[in-house]
Amino acid sequence: MKKLMLALASIALMATASMADAPAVAAPTKVKMKIKAKEKDGTVKAKVAISHNMLTYDQAKKKGKEANFITHITATVGDKVVYDASTSQFLSKNPLIKFSFAGKKGDELKITYTQLKGEVFFATKKIK
Amino acid sequence: MKKTMLSLVAVAAMTVSLSATDYRAEKADTWTAKTVPTAIKALYGEITPADGEIKLKAPKVASNGGAIPVSVKTDIPAKSVSIFQDANPEAAVAVFTVPEGANADFSMKIKMKKSGSITAIVEGKDGKFYSKKLSLEVALGGCEG
Repeated sequence: MKKLMLALASIALMATASMADAPAVAAPTKVKMKIKAKEKDGTVKAKVAISHNMLTYDQAKKKGKEANFITHITATVGDKVVYDASTSQFLSKNPLIKFSFAGKKGDELKITYTQLKGEVFFATKKIK
Repeated sequence: MKKTMLSLVAVAAMTVSLSATDYRAEKADTWTAKTVPTAIKALYGEITPADGEIKLKAPKVASNGGAIPVSVKTDIPAKSVSIFQDANPEAAVAVFTVPEGANADFSMKIKMKKSGSITAIVEGKDGKFYSKKLSLEVALGGCEG
């Protein structure tokens, strides 16, 4: 009985987790991102350059394409979220973001982003 | 049994949502609001932010409106930090959740169609709001791609 409860609870947790992070469109795809993550005195400074057209609705109309831009960027170390941004069409093309958090060398930083239609992409880098 | 299960799910939901919040899903109206005050209201409700110890930086004159470096930093213990501007068709630019162990210290590059002002709002852990506003000129409009 207890086992069943725990199993159900963990399924619920997983379902909620995946709901919070990414809509179930497709499995997250690994992409290349320029990630720099350096730790000094317990603080990690991260700089991430994501290759993305960030086509605004206006730009897309002019080009006859569909608007597509990043709507959410999350950075995690293990299962701990260290950066979480909900974003608009107004971040620049190939957005460059910087942030800092408490962390240590050797840990792996994972950057995940979701775009307008819901597709999810990620990249990882070890903190130096 | 049902009660325990429900509370377990509730705890699970709470734990996840505290660290990663999708403001695009949760506060959808923020992103379609055309003016800074309506965007702020959609995101945080009726608030009266106080002028806060917030370092909001952007170039006085942005040579390229398509890539304006903006940084916002504050030591106020923050839950979230949001950036708005009044030069584009919609006002909201980004909303950052500040997770435990992370600093309210963000840099990004944004687009602005023309000269205008950028507003940063910090949602303090104390439930109070703080704001900082900055005007800048844009030499070359940034939504032309």
